[in-house]
Amino acid sequence: MSEKKGEKKKKRILVCDDEESIRLLLSEALEERYDIDLAADGREALKKATKESFDLIIIDIKMPGVHGLEAIERIRQRDIKTPIIICSAYRLMQDDIVVKTSDVDAFITKPIDIKEFKEKIFELIGV
Amino acid sequence: MSKRILITLRFVLILITVLVITYSKKGLSFPEPGYTIALFYFVTNLILYFLPEKFFSKPIITFLIFLFDIITISLVVYMVQGFETDFYIVYFLVIFAASVSQGIIGSIPIAAVASIIYAWLMYKSNPDISFFSSQILLRIPLLFTMTLICSYWSAATRRELKKKEELERFSRELKREIGVITASEIELRRYHEKILNSVPSGVIATRKDGIITTLNPEAERVLCLKKDEVIGHNIKDIPGLGAFWKKMEQAINSGITVKRDEVLVKNKENKTTPIGISISPITDIKDKFSGCVAIFKDLSEIRRLEEKLKQAEKLSYLGKMASWVAHEIRNPLTAIDGFAQLLNNKAKQEKIGLYSSEIRKGTERINYIIDDILCFARTKRKVTHVEINLRELIQSIIKSIVHIKILVRGDKLPIIKGEIESIRRVFVNLINNSAEAMGEDGRLKINFSSNKKMILTEIIDNGKGIPKENLKNLFTAFFTTKQRGTGLGLSIVQKIIDEHNGKIEIESEEGVGTTCRVSLPKEREEEKNDE
Repeated sequence: MSEKKGEKKKKRILVCDDEESIRLLLSEALEERYDIDLAADGREALKKATKESFDLIIIDIKMPGVHGLEAIERIRQRDIKTPIIICSAYRLMQDDIVVKTSDVDAFITKPIDIKEFKEKIFELIGV
Repeated sequence: MSKRILITLRFVLILITVLVITYSKKGLSFPEPGYTIALFYFVTNLILYFLPEKFFSKPIITFLIFLFDIITISLVVYMVQGFETDFYIVYFLVIFAASVSQGIIGSIPIAAVASIIYAWLMYKSNPDISFFSSQILLRIPLLFTMTLICSYWSAATRRELKKKEELERFSRELKREIGVITASEIELRRYHEKILNSVPSGVIATRKDGIITTLNPEAERVLCLKKDEVIGHNIKDIPGLGAFWKKMEQAINSGITVKRDEVLVKNKENKTTPIGISISPITDIKDKFSGCVAIFKDLSEIRRLEEKLKQAEKLSYLGKMASWVAHEIRNPLTAIDGFAQLLNNKAKQEKIGLYSSEIRKGTERINYIIDDILCFARTKRKVTHVEINLRELIQSIIKSIVHIKILVRGDKLPIIKGEIESIRRVFVNLINNSAEAMGEDGRLKINFSSNKKMILTEIIDNGKGIPKENLKNLFTAFFTTKQRGTGLGLSIVQKIIDEHNGKIEIESEEGVGTTCRVSLPKEREEEKNDE
């Protein structure tokens, strides 16, 4: 990543969603302020989160292979303390989703309101 | 020898003795010692009277008593010098008693003793007496003859008595046994009847020709029959039991048990009941098939439960499907909606902004419909109940409604326990319905009150009201009068309230307004707050 000297380094966000359109939407919405990296499933996200350092991870639940909740559990097991936002079409109560609240910093349901989403991210990691 | 007979005879003996002493020619000259003997004898008899019965059962004791009696009589004979008289007849009394008591074996020695003493006394009073004199030659054999006759008679009487006693005992035992048998038969019948009555299945037995012989209460209930009206009647004559009899006939004719079959029976009210039935043929003493017994169960409840289970499975499947559909639609919807938002942010031309906002309205509506369908289709699940202050919840809902006046009154702390998102959905639905029904001059009153158990929330509007014909369909799924709506709103409201053990009532009058009353169980006794 080449950056001009003196320019403040952007915070890094890992976006993990199996839907390409969602990955694109989030990177389009957030790239202005953040440095975005993408992962298409839980396994890739886990790999990237272990190897690289991120300021925030945004992850979907339902994905092929390693799903979101499993990936989060494994990330936390590896003592990676990066804040995590779940962004899913599931509803916590309605769909009986059980999330360990200590592992996750926010739960945002799809469809998302981009303005609110950005505010939440700002609240968690600033710019 | 019974004590009673012995003592009675001895009293007779005393009486005779006293009479002899009093009236005999010679006795008159010795009255005093005679009376002393009689008195002494009386006293011994009194003593005997108080001795236990057991005492008299020993032969040696009775022998001694008789010996004592012989000696006493002899003493009296001697004292009154009654050898010439017939006083010796008194000996017969003792011999008679001995015969009755001891039989021939016991009475011969007594007779011998009496004869010897009598002969000796006669010899003592008159040493010249000839052995061939009439006193000896007649009286002594007479004593023995009397002994034999008495013994024989006593033995015969005793035999008769014994026979009679045995007969009586036998008769008594027979009566007792008959009584026992009758009682146990009654008991057995009752026991069988109780078994039959407590069987939770219907039991009906018929003869080969179809005549009903047994019917238990469960059978009466299931077949809607009365025992008294059908016992002894032919099952073929009872309408609605045609299929039932056919199965029974099959078992009788084949001699094979019909297991777990099913028939439909019709009762008097023409109601058809599915019945699970097992039939066994019955054989008589000669092992010939004489009828059959059917055991059956009313399957209506099982069928109803099966239907319910099927329905529940269907609903569960529907719920799963709805959840899947919702998830799958929401992802592309997120993309559409998200890009519309991005487009809107970048819109320099006014039109693009308009278009993108229209796209967003559409996606919002699709999302709302998905929520409704999901909420309607979901089955019971584990939910987290939290304390909810209905006043705060409703105030957060009405914040966004600006076109009407809303007045919130009543209890300050209407607190219930429930799933917050579902309860919010209830009041969003009800308040939105009211708000939509009112124009600019609308006034919505929301009032909280409570009793010991429930919190009552009344939502009273002065809107256009609901036409009477629509009132009964308010909670029917997919029923709607709105131009845009899934028709699921009030079904969902009712479902959520049911899940929370609450109650909802809607009253409405066209042109006047609508009142919704929602009762939900109270979390706790409210505290007084005069805020």
